[in-house]
Amino acid sequence: MEGFLPPFWCVFWFAVSLPFVAYGCYRLDRLVREERETLPLLAVAGAFVFVLSSLKLPSVVTGSSSHPTGTGLSAILFGPFLTSVIGLIVLLFQALLLAHGGLSTLGANVFSMGIAGPFVAYGIYRCGKTIRLNTFVTIFVAAAMADLVTYLVTSLQLALAFPAQSGGIVGAFVGFALIFAVTQVPLAIVEGVIIALTFKYIIQSRPDILVRLDVLSQEQVTKIREAFK
Amino acid sequence: MEQILDVYAQTNALRDVDTRLKLLLGVCAIIIGVASQSPAAPFFIAVSMAFITVALAKIPVRLYASLITIPVSFAIFSAIIILLMSGGGEPIFTFFIAGYPIGATTASANLALLVVMRTFGGMCSLYFIALTTPITEIFSVMHTLRFPRGLIDLSMLIYHFIFVLIGETISIHTAQVLRHGYDTFRNSVQSFAMLGAMVFIRAWQQGEDLVIAMDARCYDGKLELADESRKPGRVVIGATIVYLGACAYLAWLTATMNIF
Repeated sequence: MEGFLPPFWCVFWFAVSLPFVAYGCYRLDRLVREERETLPLLAVAGAFVFVLSSLKLPSVVTGSSSHPTGTGLSAILFGPFLTSVIGLIVLLFQALLLAHGGLSTLGANVFSMGIAGPFVAYGIYRCGKTIRLNTFVTIFVAAAMADLVTYLVTSLQLALAFPAQSGGIVGAFVGFALIFAVTQVPLAIVEGVIIALTFKYIIQSRPDILVRLDVLSQEQVTKIREAFK
Repeated sequence: MEQILDVYAQTNALRDVDTRLKLLLGVCAIIIGVASQSPAAPFFIAVSMAFITVALAKIPVRLYASLITIPVSFAIFSAIIILLMSGGGEPIFTFFIAGYPIGATTASANLALLVVMRTFGGMCSLYFIALTTPITEIFSVMHTLRFPRGLIDLSMLIYHFIFVLIGETISIHTAQVLRHGYDTFRNSVQSFAMLGAMVFIRAWQQGEDLVIAMDARCYDGKLELADESRKPGRVVIGATIVYLGACAYLAWLTATMNIF
């Protein structure tokens, strides 16, 4: 939220996020020069993350409005650096079109939602693929962890800015994390299930997209489609 | 679906004021509010920004009130946590939960109030930008400020696709609701996943079509922007500088002020 973090931490998180986004922009420029047709497709993914995160997710805890982050999906499809650029743009649009988040806290939000979460999701997905874990289990774990890591990093950011009297930063971190856990843990599980199911539908109707982006190999797609028949 | 503020940004009374000036006013107000050490300056910014947005830009009061309630209530909730967790100064009250002392002190009360006021001021400044400045104009400013090409092009395309996808999402969602797609928790998870996947696939097709359309028009990896900014009058520039100066002076003047 705008104005929530003290000035030092606003600047700090901008500085931390900058190298990731800058490298992402460099990758983006190179990609656009080499394969022009990828730009509109990246844009589609960005708009998809925006629309998904502005929808209310079916929530287990009644009364809490919970939003999926959707960045796990983008990280699996395009890798973490391009996702950090998409994350920056989506968060900027959320601030300007929906009045969610803020401009001074943009650095902190980009780090938690656009960098930390996607990196973990991408790492898990690649590991799962290497050790040949079931594709849907891997996607579920990757998407759910992206969500959990995003909220743990947010708790850490809050704890660093507002340490507790007893227990200091660690105490405050535990406090914020416990309060968020009530809504975020069920949300992460639901988001994991939804992203995994989303992949199932994409594999059923347009598997060529996933093969082209090197998310799945052709043999994996054939195997999964065989299993559904 | 959430309320999209773009409609108001395109139609408000301050629509034709120079974009750079509006961005300067909003962003500087946020910076002064965040940097302020006392709640007075952010409170002044919040009230004056709300006044500018409602009275000068002619944004409906009802809409503005409903927008501001959500972040402010969140800020108050979070401030209560800060009030109970951080310490320093004289204790105001203490109670025990499971043997642990929990309480508020003068320093934590000041901090909590400061955080609420900063958020209030910041949100009002953000709403000023969001409700008076169309995003398309912001792209032109980003272009003048030499932001990376790829970033601006990607933002413009994402902006375009957001509205395409929202249309698709609303129709699919309505169809699902009419067919009892969100009746039980199990159903709603299924439906939501199906909605997500279908919107993604439809969007992907739109993206592929756009590539063909752009190729047919000699797209070379760059999108051109028409820059049509008008120079603002001296009075408006002067008023903005005086206002920002007053906010900064107030923040400096009240830096050591404490309520509790």
